[in-house]
Amino acid sequence: MNHSPNHSLRTEFLGQSLPSPLVLPSGILGMSHGSLRYALEKGYGLVTTKSLSLSPREGHEGPVVARFAGGVLNSLGLCNPGIDEGLREVARFVEATGAPVLVSLFAVNRPDFVELARRACDGAGSFIELNLSCPNVMDEFGVPLAASRDLVADIVEGVKKVCRLPVVAKLSPNALDLPSIALAAQEAGADGVTLINTLGPGLLIDTTARKPVLHPRFGGISGPAILPLALKIVHECSGVLKVPVIGMGGVSTGDDAVQMLMAGASLVGVGTAVWLSGIGVVDEINLGIREYLEREGIPSVAGIPKLETGHER
Amino acid sequence: MNDRITVRIADTRPEGPKATTLYVDAGMEVLPGQFLMVADFAGGEKPFSVSEAEGGRLGITVREYGPFSRRLRSMEKGGLLSLRGPYGRPFTPRPGDCLLVGGGSGIAPLHLLARAILAAGGRVTVVSGARTRDEILLGDRFRRLPLDYHETAEDEGEGLTAVDLAARVMERKRPDFVYAAGPEGMLAALRPRLGDLDYQFSLERYMKCGVGICGSCTCDPTGIRICVEGPVLDRDRIEELEDFGRYKRDASGARVYFPGALPGA
Ligand SMILES: Cc1cc2nc3c(=O)[nH]c(=O)nc-3n(C[C@H](O)[C@H](O)[C@H](O)COP(=O)(O)OP(=O)(O)OC[C@H]3O[C@@H](n4cnc5c(N)ncnc54)[C@H](O)[C@@H]3O)c2cc1C
Ligand SMILES: Cc1cc2nc3c(=O)[nH]c(=O)nc-3n(C[C@H](O)[C@H](O)[C@H](O)COP(=O)(O)O)c2cc1C
Ligand code: FES
Repeated sequence: MNHSPNHSLRTEFLGQSLPSPLVLPSGILGMSHGSLRYALEKGYGLVTTKSLSLSPREGHEGPVVARFAGGVLNSLGLCNPGIDEGLREVARFVEATGAPVLVSLFAVNRPDFVELARRACDGAGSFIELNLSCPNVMDEFGVPLAASRDLVADIVEGVKKVCRLPVVAKLSPNALDLPSIALAAQEAGADGVTLINTLGPGLLIDTTARKPVLHPRFGGISGPAILPLALKIVHECSGVLKVPVIGMGGVSTGDDAVQMLMAGASLVGVGTAVWLSGIGVVDEINLGIREYLEREGIPSVAGIPKLETGHER
Repeated sequence: MNDRITVRIADTRPEGPKATTLYVDAGMEVLPGQFLMVADFAGGEKPFSVSEAEGGRLGITVREYGPFSRRLRSMEKGGLLSLRGPYGRPFTPRPGDCLLVGGGSGIAPLHLLARAILAAGGRVTVVSGARTRDEILLGDRFRRLPLDYHETAEDEGEGLTAVDLAARVMERKRPDFVYAAGPEGMLAALRPRLGDLDYQFSLERYMKCGVGICGSCTCDPTGIRICVEGPVLDRDRIEELEDFGRYKRDASGARVYFPGALPGA
């Protein structure tokens, strides 16, 4: 990264020292060793792969993305080249950069998640993220796994048995009582939790054509509209968890990122803002966090005080 | 805020047996080489360059390759299109002696470029090639412009490709700058013929979002996004690529090697 020599953005996460707390979320770039490198060079401290499944998936027929005043609706449909090809890209990236990678895995049942984790643990990644939550393939796969405490716990436990790498569970906001689901993941052995995946699904309508804008009809909502919800969920969950939280959802400015850290996140994902403001937004957010630390006289990202938990009614 | 519009097709014009130009009054400015994500509300949204732009009316020349482009090119006046864009980095018109080399539908953005170079006071030579004579697109438009136009059909006479013909044209007169668009195999064959000449190529990669977030269109090893940092790339950017002329990625993100290119490495 081309920042001033000040090291205040450096952040520890599950035994790794990262140059910035900003994370490239799964599904944003992250398709190839080139795009992972690109993200690292643009200022992310940790990069995540596209969610990888056992077999390649071409994803949905377009349009798969659409913009609205509050952000973006997407239904890419978890396109990915499959775990084996995906891990080859991770290996090329690690060989070229030595940087850590969060390898995102996607399946719909415990045996497949376990098999994916087994292969990922033989690869060059540093951490595993279990995408338990994507809403935009719901028709195909039923309710998101992340809506059920028992399913989340069962999958995390199965994966932990075969996995030498730290495991992070990515949860969906589309569930009731997220703190109890997050706790279930922790009790099953998760080393961290990522919050939140896209909200919804939602719908946008083309009023001239009188049809949905997205060809798959519905899509997950991301971007500024979901920031307040993401902050609340991260705040509530991190309040009850011992393991670290990767917070994301609508973060678009330095102040948004500081809010996410104050809500209790250890690292902060920045995804949709790359469309809305361009890739330069990553360095702007890094700068914004740094300016906040300097202004408030806080020596490091980890020193940002957490918001106190309120009294639940 | 919203970068998507829905418009009715204002006019259409057949371009030989395999292609059609769709005209829309889109009220947007599109620079040569930029593209639009085009959808027809029946499934599919794909990138297309703009071949003509005059007084707010845009022309999109669609050549039939597969199911989506077949449906698009048989659309009629009054049909509804969804357009997102314009996206991507355009060509830079130069005022000198410019050679434009197009293969197949790659000629489409070069038509808009030729007009921009002429307007900037440059001199233009165009070389257009396709497999058969009636697949050569927009020849009538180029012939109406004050430029030097050459075309070749690979199934006729000497069987010259656009690259062969461009090499002959360059032997006669060395241009100041070369622009090319077309199948990547053509671009890869052209590059060694250019020696130290400066150039810009327009690349095609599988696109889903068109706005730089999905990662579909990224190149290795630099990770540049063809939908944002491209589709038009400068010589320096192309020379850094390991995938140029070797492989691209399909809808799943898996590598697809070009015919003749070896995996490995
Ligand atoms: C920047 C850019 C500008 C283009 N400009 C034009 C143009 O002006 N005129 C024109 O006729 N064609 C143009 N194309 C190509 C056009 O996008 C494809 O022909 C079209 O997507 C084919 O879709 P299909 O379903 O008919 O074919 P398919 O049978 O699906 O595929 C045929 C070919 O098109 C490619 N293709 C399919 N889907 C996509 C996609 N989403 N993104 C990129 N490539 C794809 C495939 O890899 C294959 O090589 C352009 C492509 C790009 C990337
Ligand atoms: C285009 C797009 C594709 C995504 N793909 C994935 C994915 O494959 N796996 C996953 O876990 N999350 C995926 N997500 C969700 C993001 O990782 C992130 O959780 C969400 O977008 C909220 O962050 P943001 O508002 O900063 O984008 C995707 C989001 C977008 C916008
Ligand atoms: S098409 Fe999505 S990044 Fe270029």
